[in-house]
Amino acid sequence: MKVVVAVDDSDGSRHALAWVLDHLLVAEQEPEPEPERQPPPELVVVHAHEPLRHIVMYPVGPGSAVYGAPSMMEAVRAAQAESARGLLDRAKRICQRRGVAAEAVAVEGEPREALCRAAADMGAGLLVLGSRGLGAIKRAFLGSVSDYCAHHATCPIMVVKPPAATS
Amino acid sequence: MAAAEAAAAGGGGGGSSSSGKPVMVVGIDDSDHSYYALEWTLQHFFTPGGAQQYHLVVLTAKPPASSVIGIAGVGSAELLPTVEADLKRTVVRVIDKAKKLCAEIEMLHDDPAADDLDLLRRRSAQVADVSYETIEGDARNVICEAVDRHHAEILVVGCHGYSYWKRAVLGSVSDYCTHHAHCTVMIVKRPKHKH
Repeated sequence: MKVVVAVDDSDGSRHALAWVLDHLLVAEQEPEPEPERQPPPELVVVHAHEPLRHIVMYPVGPGSAVYGAPSMMEAVRAAQAESARGLLDRAKRICQRRGVAAEAVAVEGEPREALCRAAADMGAGLLVLGSRGLGAIKRAFLGSVSDYCAHHATCPIMVVKPPAATS
Repeated sequence: MAAAEAAAAGGGGGGSSSSGKPVMVVGIDDSDHSYYALEWTLQHFFTPGGAQQYHLVVLTAKPPASSVIGIAGVGSAELLPTVEADLKRTVVRVIDKAKKLCAEIEMLHDDPAADDLDLLRRRSAQVADVSYETIEGDARNVICEAVDRHHAEILVVGCHGYSYWKRAVLGSVSDYCTHHAHCTVMIVKRPKHKH
């Protein structure tokens, strides 16, 4: 079964990846895999970032907006791609440290749609998301990727909650 | 009902079940989505040949008859015993079906070496470490409360796949549980067929 874990730069997604490595992939330690056994789950980490279309920058002082020059956009795009690669590399390293080989994929688009599409395209058996633990009102206004995916993904979804804060 | 209560009382305490394994709670009702979710969970997390990783708790909620009838008009008091009996029959049916699913997990996996389709399907297994619970109350609260009681690590629910408006009117148990359960929640849905 292909397990797809969505990662971004948040604590929630880091916790989700660690959770998956700790709880779902423990079956790796079987000494002699019988041929009829189910193969261990494969892990894919996915990062979705929104593509830049236009940058409009508003200088601090009074004045009109400055339209981003193409070269500037290229620079920002390159920086975005670099940060995506860095994030995925870090995620892969976390997996390797636990002895799990993971594939890393970067997708472009609005995160919630891109994640659902990516999971469908990859034939994922399970899509794992962290959760920011937003309350109901914040979720309505800020939107929740895990909410959207829970309803629109075509495969089973796992939402990993942040560790409970001791109250 | 008394048996369920006894099971509930005995199951609490500590971070795991009496067998020392982490607990996985699967909440089901009398719908195809739920049975599919249970089957999927059994096939992927309780595979034969390996040690069982989780203690499985199969849980179904029996709504109180009064909530089902709702703010009905005249004569609702007479309906109560009939509805109550019907609800009781439903939960018994749900648990029986769950027991049957747990007794024979059909292993379907793509083994390139196996040419014979019969060979693929015939491997069946049994879940050894499982308990069944039927609790009266609203499904949302029953499920979240059971998660807390068992200190479950994972909660699995099916998904009716309601549209946005249906969800707003009928409410969604899977939605509620995703937001309010104090553990990782897995929502199992039937894969959508692309037309």
